[in-house]
Amino acid sequence: MTYLIVTVVTFALIYAVAATALNVRWGWAGEFDFFVYALVAVGAYTYAVIVLPPAPRNDTGLTYILGLNQSPLVGAAVAVVVCAVMSLVIGSIALRSLRQVFFGITTFAAVLILSAVITQQTSLFNGFTGVFGAGQPFNSVLKLSPSAYNIFFLLLCGAIVGGVYFLLQRIFWSPYGLALRAIREDEVAAAAFGHDPYVARLKAYVLGGALAGLSGTLLVAYIGAFNPQAWSPIETVLLFAAIIIGGTGNMKGAVLGSLIVFGLILEGTQFLPPIPALPNAEAALRAIAVGLVMLAFLRWRPQGVLPEQHYRDVPRVRDDPLARLVRLVAHRRGTQ
Amino acid sequence: MTVLLHSVGFGLVAAAIIALGSVAFSLQFSVTTTPNFAHGDILTIGAYAALGAQTLTHNIAAEVIAAVVAGGLAASILNLALMEPFLKLRAPRISIFLVTVVFGLLAQNIILIVFGGSPATFQLPTSGLIHVGPFLWTNIDIETMISAVVILGSLHVLLRYTKFGKSLRAVSDNPELARVTGVPYRRVVRITWLLDGMMAGFAGFILAAYVGGLTPTLGFSYLVVIFAASVVGGLGRPYGTALGALVIGVAMQVASAYVAPDYSESVAFGLLIVALLIRPQGIFRAEIWNFAE
Repeated sequence: MTYLIVTVVTFALIYAVAATALNVRWGWAGEFDFFVYALVAVGAYTYAVIVLPPAPRNDTGLTYILGLNQSPLVGAAVAVVVCAVMSLVIGSIALRSLRQVFFGITTFAAVLILSAVITQQTSLFNGFTGVFGAGQPFNSVLKLSPSAYNIFFLLLCGAIVGGVYFLLQRIFWSPYGLALRAIREDEVAAAAFGHDPYVARLKAYVLGGALAGLSGTLLVAYIGAFNPQAWSPIETVLLFAAIIIGGTGNMKGAVLGSLIVFGLILEGTQFLPPIPALPNAEAALRAIAVGLVMLAFLRWRPQGVLPEQHYRDVPRVRDDPLARLVRLVAHRRGTQ
Repeated sequence: MTVLLHSVGFGLVAAAIIALGSVAFSLQFSVTTTPNFAHGDILTIGAYAALGAQTLTHNIAAEVIAAVVAGGLAASILNLALMEPFLKLRAPRISIFLVTVVFGLLAQNIILIVFGGSPATFQLPTSGLIHVGPFLWTNIDIETMISAVVILGSLHVLLRYTKFGKSLRAVSDNPELARVTGVPYRRVVRITWLLDGMMAGFAGFILAAYVGGLTPTLGFSYLVVIFAASVVGGLGRPYGTALGALVIGVAMQVASAYVAPDYSESVAFGLLIVALLIRPQGIFRAEIWNFAE
């Protein structure tokens, strides 16, 4: 039971990283992006082929590129860089002229093309069967028992989510973060103040891509295997559900939404007793539950549980105790 | 040369199916200006309704009616239960698009619960291949193309020569002006959704017969092909869309003969991306359409 709960929370945290990636792209920059889950897959595949040993040269039918036998850290770094570069290329083309729904349709078509290529070209990532055996990073050194390793991985994911949250929170309140949201709200006004909308959006797109690659790395490191069935378009819809429920533009909301959608609704319901009248319908019922909750939020609380914070609603620098002291000292000096 | 001609022949059949699906999609878009992401799932609903009718009776007319009614019902439910309340709330367009995404998710999974996920076979009586000029078709292929021409022709008459058609064109040109000048705006939108669903349901029936079987994701996987035809031809333009369907259908079949069958859909998706990037207003459209909205 503990093992199962740890597994559920770990998955929810891994998806939370992907949700923050989509939240940077959609919540902050306002890009209606479907490509984010393809980048989770690209990150997962890249990590796997960097970490795995070369494909065996016999007729097992197992074929994939590279097979560099590197350490997990190298694999993760390469996966993140590959996803960031891929986002740069796609973003620099798609962000030029497309917006909103049409951006979504274009990126959706790009996901389907990528999926077809990876499924058909078995020499890339072993086609439909996928890659496997890339799991349990660091355990060759740590030598933990399965249940202890499971908890170790949960803590690792927790630390990464915490780190990502801290980084994104810094970016959120940075001048760049403010400019990005200004561009989302009113492109012309932001451009009038000297912000290049295209460059700002592209930066956010690349940042989101890097985070998606990180999430893919964690996913494949945890489950050990990855194949095209693991990234159907439905997964992106689930990420959108997580963000809308949690709070579009709010990173705490993205994490909370992932815990609700992936932890509670999709994985947590495994603990419920099965419905005898509808055998084998659990997966479909879970998807329906996510859809209905998402509809309810879109209807009655479109800003989500934790809405995006506004600049005017948070304590500014002048309310900071240190800044107040500095001002007080400066004021005294001035009056003397 | 024979290979090319044969694949063009198959392309014409594919184009007929795509045209039925995408003209309905485009017509709906012209009135509501929100693409319906659940459009493919309405095709699936039509196909499963036809399958249900086939298990009861082997009458093709009954199957067609079941598909058309189910499609029209599904599209009307989407409009009345979800689109109208959200439009009344003045929800942003992206939320409305997401609502159609969720409707598709719900429809797919309800079908999964009712009919199960395993592929079902769906076949109509066929005569085998017949040589028609340079092309090679079955009687179903020929009937598919005839039905597409008849349906699109009737739609043309409806749009061009009836009062409803005039109101629909008025709404699609300028909704506010149409409303002010007394066009029954809401009724036009509702009838358009009904028509869209009926055509989509029929397209689903034809698609299932063409593929020879159906799964809960039959229509969803065809959705981007439909998008491609609509965008290449000019989204919101039923006539351009019919030509776009011709381009996409023939391109897909020629590609599957010369490149690889598995990449035929990727060719359509590639054309979609190129069309959106280079000429988002469509090949057959002259006016500027503001896509930055």
